[in-house]
Amino acid sequence: MRTEQVDVAVVGGGPAGLAAALSAKESGAEHVLLIERGERMGGILNQCIHDGFGTKLMGEAFTGPEYAQIFINRLTNTGVNVKLDTMVMDISSDRELVICSSDGLIRVKAGAIVLCTGCRERTRGAIRIPGTRPAGVFTAGVVQEYMNIRNLSVGRKVVILGSGDIGLIMARRLTLEGVEVECVAEILPYPSGLARNIVQCLEDFEIPLYLSTTVVDIHGIDRVEGITLAKIGPRGGIVRGTKRFVKCDTLLLSVGLIPENELAKKAGIKLSPVTAGPIVDDHFQTSIPGIFCGGNALQVHDLVDYASMESEKAGRSAAFFAGAGKLPSPSIKVLPGQGIRYVIPHEVSGNEPVDFSMRVKSPEADRYIVFKQGEKVIRRMRQIELAPAAMIRMRVRSDRFQRSLDSLTVEVAD
Amino acid sequence: MNEGNIVCTVCPTSCLIDAKWDEKELISIDRAQCKLAWGYISDEIFDPKRVVTTTVPTETGKNPLVSVKTAEPVPKHLVLDIMDTLAVVQAKGPVNAGDVIVADVLGTGVNIIATSNSD
Ligand SMILES: Cc1cc2nc3c(=O)[nH]c(=O)nc-3n(C[C@H](O)[C@H](O)[C@H](O)COP(=O)(O)OP(=O)(O)OC[C@H]3O[C@@H](n4cnc5c(N)ncnc54)[C@H](O)[C@@H]3O)c2cc1C
Ligand code: SF4
Repeated sequence: MRTEQVDVAVVGGGPAGLAAALSAKESGAEHVLLIERGERMGGILNQCIHDGFGTKLMGEAFTGPEYAQIFINRLTNTGVNVKLDTMVMDISSDRELVICSSDGLIRVKAGAIVLCTGCRERTRGAIRIPGTRPAGVFTAGVVQEYMNIRNLSVGRKVVILGSGDIGLIMARRLTLEGVEVECVAEILPYPSGLARNIVQCLEDFEIPLYLSTTVVDIHGIDRVEGITLAKIGPRGGIVRGTKRFVKCDTLLLSVGLIPENELAKKAGIKLSPVTAGPIVDDHFQTSIPGIFCGGNALQVHDLVDYASMESEKAGRSAAFFAGAGKLPSPSIKVLPGQGIRYVIPHEVSGNEPVDFSMRVKSPEADRYIVFKQGEKVIRRMRQIELAPAAMIRMRVRSDRFQRSLDSLTVEVAD
Repeated sequence: MNEGNIVCTVCPTSCLIDAKWDEKELISIDRAQCKLAWGYISDEIFDPKRVVTTTVPTETGKNPLVSVKTAEPVPKHLVLDIMDTLAVVQAKGPVNAGDVIVADVLGTGVNIIATSNSD
């Protein structure tokens, strides 16, 4: 096997990988290698043809492909080496990658690695819907790719299970293309997608959203012929007498995204059971020194801008590590408290300002997000609206951290 | 004067805006996280508009489709008519993001432009 040596290797050419490679290069890493298994850069943005990308970073709303192109243009002529159609097969804890392309297998020894492998969709198996196994059951992201990239249609009459953002975006997309969207069913008592997508994608087209409702049966032998919907009670059981048949030829699943971390697992990186992404510090360094992570591989993002920003920091940290061989070690553990599902980063050094991102467990109105060390409140911010679908970002200045204490708790409070 | 809550849908942040307006104009907005809300909320009250995004087939390109959008938001009631217009449009020759695919769609004064490349 041929061996190459690089300073920073970035895995994945989506918005996170693009930002990480750019900032690694700008921070002084000489040999930066960006590896993408697809035939083009941009990742999931290539199929997200709707607009609303970049408002935080660029003050303007772009479509997914346009947002990606801005970063691809910035990358050209920087000297970052891009390998497309190349898959990273393996990485090891001593920062060696095995990559595979039409040139065969190559071993890459990297000073530092940034994992930006994005996420994948949960499938029918992952949520165990009973019934037959006919054709016509798809995940929403697959349909998005079929329609927006490959020019394939999937059916005429569609039910969408799950109010995740891709499902909502696809409800509108299908309607615009003349496909009938019967309804969206959501098992939770509140929507799991963003308010914006409920308004723009459902309300604009009068598509009904049934909450506390799920698909309890799928009918059809060769092709989906219909599904049975039922109301779900507070304890998770089917509410008697609420079963009803809905005729359709297609069922779309939009039941969540999971960070893609097969490579991280192979390297022995510690993953969080809550986010399914690596445990990281404020440099986005994982449990293995010199391996960093950003974007949807770390946590599922609703805003690409934040995926780019966090990966920019990961890229900068990687360049620094490749040069210096180490980074300041974190001494303060960050713990999710009352009402908080997770907080990233999981540990901080307290020497630099930190942009925290977090999600709440359930919808709340007019509460505070409070950062506490011991009994002392180090940061507090009022939140008018809190929803699990919307990631919260808060910056804490370095002078607020009490470095003598070894933990910090974030909670929802009055 | 009228008051109400309107979700800003320009980006995924989905700010729930407190708006006040009279018969003629938007008077104030509160809770917006950025300046893009003003124009959107004002339109949403007096003349709702949407950016239409879709795809059109390419003639020769490596990719069977290019993605397109209305270069500006267009009146909401025209969204489906614009889709009908675009249903029969094919992009000629190689296309680059930014190229005009349909000029002045349905007399709105707004162009349909490509948002991706055909090759
Ligand atoms: C339907 C949908 C709608 C959205 N709408 C909006 C919106 O309106 N506004 C907004 O701001 N954000 C939106 N987002 C969020 C935004 O798209 C994501 O935050 C962002 O794309 C994440 O980028 P990423 O680079 O982490 O992942 P991805 O874009 O998924 O990129 C990961 C890349 O890694 C590559 N890869 C994976 N494994 C390997 C390997 N082993 N070897 C080589 N390459 C590999 C993949 O091929 C892929 O190209 C939306 C997301 C979705 C899914
Ligand atoms: S006000 Fe700004 S941040 Fe809030 S939803 Fe509108 S565009 Fe997004």
